[in-house]
Amino acid sequence: MKGRRYLSKSDKRSNNSMFNTIYVEEKALEYPITRQLLQKYADCPVVTIRHYKDVFNRPKQHFALQKQNQSLILAVKEGQFLYKGPEVCQNFGHPNFYYTSFVLNCVFDCEYCYLQGMYPSANMVAFVNVEDFKKSMEEVLVEKQAFLAASYDTDLIAFHNIVPYVDYFYDFFKENPDLLVEIRTKSANQSFYRNHEPLENIIIAFTLTPAEVIEKYERHTPSLEARIKAVNTAISQGFKVRICFDPIFIDPEIDHAYEPFYRYIFTRIDPGSILDVGYGFFRMSEDFFKRIEKIRSSSLLYAEDYCKDNGVISYPSHVMEKIQKEHMSILYDYIGKEKIFTL
Amino acid sequence: MVLIVTALMIEAAPIIEHFRLKKDMAIHEFPVYRNSDIALIVSGVGKVKSAMASVYLYSIYGKKEEDILVNIGFCGAGSSRYPPGTMLLINKVTDMDTGRDYYPDVFFGQDMPKESVRCYSKPVMREDVGENIDIFCDMESSGIMEAANKFVYSHNVAILKIVSDYLNPQNLDKEQLKSLVRDQMPQVERIIGQLKQLNESSGDLSLSSEEREGVEAFSDRMKFSKAMKQMLLKEMKYAKLRGKEPLKVLESFMDIKVESRVEGKKVLEQIRQKIK
Repeated sequence: MKGRRYLSKSDKRSNNSMFNTIYVEEKALEYPITRQLLQKYADCPVVTIRHYKDVFNRPKQHFALQKQNQSLILAVKEGQFLYKGPEVCQNFGHPNFYYTSFVLNCVFDCEYCYLQGMYPSANMVAFVNVEDFKKSMEEVLVEKQAFLAASYDTDLIAFHNIVPYVDYFYDFFKENPDLLVEIRTKSANQSFYRNHEPLENIIIAFTLTPAEVIEKYERHTPSLEARIKAVNTAISQGFKVRICFDPIFIDPEIDHAYEPFYRYIFTRIDPGSILDVGYGFFRMSEDFFKRIEKIRSSSLLYAEDYCKDNGVISYPSHVMEKIQKEHMSILYDYIGKEKIFTL
Repeated sequence: MVLIVTALMIEAAPIIEHFRLKKDMAIHEFPVYRNSDIALIVSGVGKVKSAMASVYLYSIYGKKEEDILVNIGFCGAGSSRYPPGTMLLINKVTDMDTGRDYYPDVFFGQDMPKESVRCYSKPVMREDVGENIDIFCDMESSGIMEAANKFVYSHNVAILKIVSDYLNPQNLDKEQLKSLVRDQMPQVERIIGQLKQLNESSGDLSLSSEEREGVEAFSDRMKFSKAMKQMLLKEMKYAKLRGKEPLKVLESFMDIKVESRVEGKKVLEQIRQKIK
């Protein structure tokens, strides 16, 4: 609904139908990002609020319907700006692993996404006090070899046409070369790479999945073909590119798709041009899983049997080992072992 | 079920007429009118009465979060931005006593005006708020929202306010007021239709209450523990999502006689194998 179909073709959406409502915290009203957005989406109903949690944490929200009628909440971030990277996420060998969230929630609607279990609402929260984020990064990260995941609880490149967060931090990242920044995306936005200078310390991490997975689980995301084009544009413009085969599903309907998928990817993308590969099976904290199981009551993904290990739900380890071995034997045809990071 | 709350009989009369509702003679605490899928209650004026009436109506006719709670009523406008008779879809309610804000999700009426409303405990007059102030005032909405927050999804509460006056309610004519509501009935019907459609589109494919009861009765007969019952419910849901009929799957196990939990476990395993 409301322009979502349009999003599946590209990341552009019509301004008029972009959001159901824009909620604005009173203290966010005077920030430039707020002013620009309210001007850009002038036809969208605007509601002033005291605190974003008054809307975001309401009782009785219907996640799936909100996702189809997504609203935007503009807020001023308080408290903690940087978080230590969680264990279920890959640190790519960096001990100082942090993540930050300029935006909560995502424009895409992936059935397997942990955000559905993490947040009570499908609405997006965009924090407008970017200078405070910078200040916090300066305090915590500067002069420290650190790895910062900047696009974890959202997709910043898909969101770029709404709020160009990456632009606000580009100079900061440039001036702090010890800070290695990963921007993870499923976006097909090629113009981003044409309009930005590649930096040594910025990695664009593309999540690629077989067309069968996109069809089954990744609603409103760009097609595999569109993502491959974006990968190649990023490479040709000089960006460091990471390919993430994550999450991998073990499913009789999908298992057969992985070998042709990997081979196809590396006929279309030069394996010598990519930085490395991330690889991980579908996994989720038990708490998130249980919450999503309730709200996605019609989802087969959450009706399957899984194993629980240390509070994390995933496939049985012996099955993962077997599948991983099969997948690696294909991936090693293209990528050196030392360049593949598994979790 | 669609549950409609109005404060006054003059607000209710055109709705009763439009949907051909009949008075429920078994109920004496409030005037209640209904047909097969709509129940309307006339609460009286004020947020306490509207909250009471909402809860009362829900406790009789409501069942689940998918029920729809609609408040249709008049509001006073502080400015003349909208002509009398305009229906506003309310996306924020502020209780002027507590300062608490409520936010219904408005996923319907895309082409209709959306506004905030202030809910007061007593009638608001022009002299109370000053000239040409862009506010809308009522006396019931926060009560409805307080009840809605307990029982129905946030997109299933619709606060529909019809501008009746510019904070000079003393000059209103009853027949004229009724016609303001009557004129909005096609819109009201459309909104209710949109809400019903929304709930259908988010249809829950998990077990129906009949299937759930069948599975639970089967579990009891098979001497399943609580955990085993939960496992069977999950298996049956999985079977249904795979296109199988849960109760049919269990049919072939109905005649098995189980004497102990160990035997029950064997049956559960056989069912799991059958589904896979």
